Amino acid sequence: MPPIDDVDRAILNRIQSDFPMTKRPYLSIAENFGLSENEVIKRLERLKKKGIIRRIGGNFVPEKLGFVSTLCAAKVPEDKIEGFARTVNRYPGVTHNYQRDNTYNIWFTFIAQSMDEIEGNIEDISRETGVKDIINLPATKMYKIRAHFDL
Amino acid sequence: MLTELDKEIIASIQGEIEITQRPYLEIAEKLGIGEELLLERMKDLCNRGVIRRFGATIRHQQSGFEANAMVAWKVDEDRIDAVGEKMASLKAVSHCYRRNPTGDWPYNLYTMIHAIDEASCREIAVKLSTETSVSTYTLLFSRRELKKTSMKYFPTNDVQ
Repeated sequence: MPPIDDVDRAILNRIQSDFPMTKRPYLSIAENFGLSENEVIKRLERLKKKGIIRRIGGNFVPEKLGFVSTLCAAKVPEDKIEGFARTVNRYPGVTHNYQRDNTYNIWFTFIAQSMDEIEGNIEDISRETGVKDIINLPATKMYKIRAHFDL
Repeated sequence: MLTELDKEIIASIQGEIEITQRPYLEIAEKLGIGEELLLERMKDLCNRGVIRRFGATIRHQQSGFEANAMVAWKVDEDRIDAVGEKMASLKAVSHCYRRNPTGDWPYNLYTMIHAIDEASCREIAVKLSTETSVSTYTLLFSRRELKKTSMKYFPTNDVQ
């Protein structure tokens, strides 16, 4: 059985970037598709349980909240990856962290109140883990940011 | 400027919106405000560009987009805007940023590519390379997710 059917797909496409801000949002969605509110709720509960929906909620522009964000990369020896990830992931401002196949093999995003704070954190991480090669790559221009995937 | 109420609202909608009939009523009650005021302030935060996106975040690995690659490109600075905009216009590209090159890392343009599998990601990269005449680039496939969460802004003492 396929993990999602056409109705699921239509609902997901509808609510990725434009979840209703109405008193009964699931009823609003239901009305778009000629379904009942209860059916929309049941379908979304199932998609959530299956892990297809990670979360429903707000995503913000850090800079508009007085924060800065950046992308960092580090060269971490294979046997140090676990420890390095533990140290880095402890910071609440590290929201994404991936191992990638490159000499710079650990890539993480960092959000904080200032770039100085991030630089300081990078120094602390370097001292604690012994990993010297950590680069800080703040974006200087944004051409596209999209998180909507047509399913 | 963000008011204290804006910050409280941000803190309470950055987690999970419940899958129940009246999710906003519950949030409004916790904040001690009316549901209508909450919705009005949320719409205002959208209009001001503070909320970038309000909705469901999908795990692509479980929805058919099996592979994603970050591609780092080395682009001549005098045509980086043209190349950046060209790459950004492709549907398979979800993110496209300019970043300063540094030390032993010469790349200055970054794209995220999503496709069914790694081979398709590579094909898309080749296509982007050909169309923009940028020949120096590297594909970085994600081997493992070590952390993926959303930022918790303006934490309060409330247990959410």
